[in-house]
Amino acid sequence: MVLPAAPFAPQPTGLERLLAEVINPGLCVACGACLGLCPHLIFLDGQVAAPDPCGLTSGRCWDLCPVAQRGGPGAAQGPIGPVLGAWQGRATARDLEGRAQYGGVVSELLALALEQALVQEAVVTAAGPRGAPQGLRVSGRSGVLGAAGSIYAGGGALGELNRALAEDACHPLAVVGLPCQIQALGAMRAHPDYPQTLERIHLVIGLFCTMNLPWRGVRDLLARHGVQAPLSRADFPPPPAGIFQVWSGGAYHELPLDQVRAISYPGCAGCADLTSEGADLSVGACEGKPGWNTILARTHAGAGLLELAAGKGLLELEPAQPASLEHLNQAAIAKRKRAAAWSEERRHG
Amino acid sequence: MADVSKLIPGQKVLLQGNEAIARGALEAGVALAAAYPGNPSSEILQTLADSAHSAGIYVEWSTNEKVALESAAAASYAGLRGMASMKQNGVNVAQDFICNLTISGTQGGIVLVTCDDPSGVSSTNEEDARFIARVACLPLLEPATPAECLSMMKLAFELSEQIGNLVVLRGLARLSHTRAGVVPGPLPESKRRPRWDPSQRWFTIPVVPRHQAMLDKLAKAGEIMGAAGVNYYDGPQRPELLVVASGSSRLYADEARRMLEAGERVGILHLGATWPLDQELILEHLARADKILFAEEVDPHLEGGVKSIYAQHVRELGIKDFFGQDTGHKPPVGELSPSRVAAALADILGLPWQEVDPAYQEKAQVAQALVAPRQVGFCPGCPHRASYWSMKQVLAADGREGIVSGDIGCYTLGVLPTGYQRVNAVHCMGSGPGIASGLGKLRDQGFGQPVISVVGDSTFFHAALPALVNARWNNSDYVLVVLDNSATAMTGFQPHPGTGATAMGQAGTVVDVEQVCAGLGLPYAVVDPYDLEATQEALYDALQIGGGLRVLIFRRLCALVQNKQGGHPWSISVDPELCRGEDCGCHRFCTRVFRCPGLVFDEATGKATVDEVVCVGCGVCAQICPAGAIKARPKEATA
Ligand SMILES: Cc1cc2nc3c(=O)[nH]c(=O)nc-3n(C[C@H](O)[C@H](O)[C@H](O)COP(=O)(O)OP(=O)(O)OC[C@H]3O[C@@H](n4cnc5c(N)ncnc54)[C@H](O)[C@@H]3O)c2cc1C
Ligand code: SF4
Ligand code: SF4
Ligand code: SF4
Ligand code: SF4
Repeated sequence: MVLPAAPFAPQPTGLERLLAEVINPGLCVACGACLGLCPHLIFLDGQVAAPDPCGLTSGRCWDLCPVAQRGGPGAAQGPIGPVLGAWQGRATARDLEGRAQYGGVVSELLALALEQALVQEAVVTAAGPRGAPQGLRVSGRSGVLGAAGSIYAGGGALGELNRALAEDACHPLAVVGLPCQIQALGAMRAHPDYPQTLERIHLVIGLFCTMNLPWRGVRDLLARHGVQAPLSRADFPPPPAGIFQVWSGGAYHELPLDQVRAISYPGCAGCADLTSEGADLSVGACEGKPGWNTILARTHAGAGLLELAAGKGLLELEPAQPASLEHLNQAAIAKRKRAAAWSEERRHG
Repeated sequence: MADVSKLIPGQKVLLQGNEAIARGALEAGVALAAAYPGNPSSEILQTLADSAHSAGIYVEWSTNEKVALESAAAASYAGLRGMASMKQNGVNVAQDFICNLTISGTQGGIVLVTCDDPSGVSSTNEEDARFIARVACLPLLEPATPAECLSMMKLAFELSEQIGNLVVLRGLARLSHTRAGVVPGPLPESKRRPRWDPSQRWFTIPVVPRHQAMLDKLAKAGEIMGAAGVNYYDGPQRPELLVVASGSSRLYADEARRMLEAGERVGILHLGATWPLDQELILEHLARADKILFAEEVDPHLEGGVKSIYAQHVRELGIKDFFGQDTGHKPPVGELSPSRVAAALADILGLPWQEVDPAYQEKAQVAQALVAPRQVGFCPGCPHRASYWSMKQVLAADGREGIVSGDIGCYTLGVLPTGYQRVNAVHCMGSGPGIASGLGKLRDQGFGQPVISVVGDSTFFHAALPALVNARWNNSDYVLVVLDNSATAMTGFQPHPGTGATAMGQAGTVVDVEQVCAGLGLPYAVVDPYDLEATQEALYDALQIGGGLRVLIFRRLCALVQNKQGGHPWSISVDPELCRGEDCGCHRFCTRVFRCPGLVFDEATGKATVDEVVCVGCGVCAQICPAGAIKARPKEATA
């Protein structure tokens, strides 16, 4: 006799599942989407922890986690997602020199959006008191400048966004984030129990990203190389350099790339997005043009802000070089393949 | 406590066992009394302290039990009478001194009072401290009533002076806190002048002849106690069953015999002097009964002793049946009670016995279901709750499976849910830093877990210092957290070196935890555990440093002391509009996880509320609410 199928029993979501699927297996990439929602998930010195059980069997933390939500339908738009315009550019302002990671486009656009009151606050990532990156809300140019430059470690900045959204306020917000964070933003906007995200997030700037590192691992690696954290600057020069460059207290050091890769988040291996496909604007390095950025305008809001900045002479813009775009495409495809292989391996392993 | 020196001789009064011990000591002319607080013994010294000025004696809370007994010995060597009182655990602390003092001998009368705690109601163990009498060959007295507490204290001092050795008096928790009629005697009319004759030297060598002298003293003590009338028989000429009992168990046996109406069949040999055992008396009574039951708490001290006497005389005495721990008629653990003794009597005599009427039992069960379950927990506003909260958060965030080595005090409750079960081990006073010290030296062999040792401020001085010096010396890697609530709260707020107050109420010198740390070369910082964020930052950073012992002093007055000193500053309320209740985003975080009893979850509204009767207004919970729903407003503003 064939028994009828068991009635549909929804699998529990919430913290228990997040712990089981993401945090305990070491797959968390510290995006922060689960932070700041409730007191059960905490973030200290670059690491997410859950000191106590939450007791609910459904909840937003799991729903929003980009690692937990992987494996859905792949993006339909090609390897670098939707693109209205592809540019290369840099900020013209002097105050960004030496602070911005490359061309300072991200910082300049944020500052402009705040100045124009398109948004009132921006959630960025900046070094905290121990050197670990953390989310920070800024509301003007000086705040934006304070967060300029890339910190190659997970900072959980979306937790700060969650805290902002929990406040009794309605002003518009901007967010800068890595691809995992932009994916989480998508889940936040789509979540039925989280209407404020749709209403209040008016600008999303995404960064390009191949992998990220856990802060504590970075600190230990630096210590092994005799480098004192925090760093004043860090960079991955384009291949075939094979090094991680760090500046600390005025001194420059090079760490072997394989050692850095070895400590990268295991969870990054399953990420299929190189260029923050869900952002209004995505910004990364510009191949062959040090001090410049590659900029992908993806939405009309993003393209409009870019146009405004160029019109005011705040940005120097050129159309992106086809060759460099092609390289970007190749890199994006490679990242997708890696992620697909990883997912496959996890499904079967 | 009351000034018992003011009692009128001959006029019967109600006294607690512990007060009667104090009065007995005064009547015996004690000149110096010292103790370390520990339930159930604490009231003895407090009573003496409160009587000290009118009695013209010196009374002190010492840093630990060993020091207390050493001070008492000093009085003895100066020709005065001295005493030290302690709980059973304290005897272990003092043991090293005891085992040498008994060989060197004493001059003025000196008495050690141990108050044992069968069932460990307020202790970490239920050790039977009578072992010390055997180990150190000391005379042992076991009173059963407050009146006997008084009279036996006087006997103990006399005996000590006659044999030149320490005498032990063993009380029990029930006796310590039982009140009964006592007729005080007169206080001594004159005082001795303290003087240590410089030609007198007290030491333990040559060991063998002095060991022999110690045994001779014990034998002499046996004779004196035998003549003192503290052992007696009560019952029929030839009882069917002889109960050999000491301490409170004598009363239990008597009550059991009455409950079973077995007065014709059961005799009780009351032993007030239980070491050395009165062999002659015991043989006399063994000869008259064929069945013998032992009633005593906790160890089979009488059982072993009497059986060994029997073994030497088995030919004259013939076959006897012994009942006790070996036969399951006396529980090997836990307190004795009249009904437990009655059950044994009934079993041996073949009598029916029902502890409680089944109808009553049934109703009791119904009633029990109506009583809300209560967990042992920290008081509302207790700084230890906040401290363990921070430790829990930080150790989780640290993520390296940190271990907390606990110690003795209110904060021992860190092993329970009220302390988030954050404590991994608790043993005795000072063992926390010792264990931590060992863990901190396993780094080279791959032990990567961070280690925190928690000690209270009183424990810090009692027994933690040698372990800290050890850790400093050997560069052990751990964080010492001193939970400084400026009180010996668990035992009743006695002063300690860090408070600078003394037992007799005069100002002593404050021994400052910071200065001690500085003197040991230990890096330290002081934080307020009520400030959760600052505490957590400091603790996290301290855990990361590594390399050696470092100290964090979590300083915040015990909530109960604060209540007496003007109370806490905040008036707490929950804003139901903001409270997230059971929703995702909180799920009863304050009442389910933080769990201060001042907060309750209102099932009807699905929101948390403050129990205004219980909440003291410390303001800590306002820091853990994710919604800012717990509002702390200054009390004056709302008054
Ligand atoms: C972990 C990481 C990996 C990256 N990998 C690549 C890559 O493979 N290829 C590539 O082309 N570009 C990569 N980038 C992006 C690149 O480093 C620059 O951020 C980007 O080109 C923008 O440059 P900018 O001069 O406009 O930035 P800036 O004007 O200096 O602004 C930088 C912004 O980045 C944000 N930020 C800094 N650290 C973090 C962080 N840890 N998490 C989230 N946001 C952060 C700050 O909030 C700031 O607003 C990566 C960035 C990060 C943080
Ligand atoms: S309260 Fe909600 S967000 Fe927080 S742990 Fe529970 S399910 Fe996750
Ligand atoms: S990846 Fe992001 S959402 Fe997922 S557990 Fe880590 S911090 Fe939370
Ligand atoms: S922690 Fe705050 S929001 Fe949660 S139940 Fe308690 S009062 Fe309400
Ligand atoms: S303020 Fe909060 S934590 Fe303090 S006693 Fe009241 S309910 Fe408890």
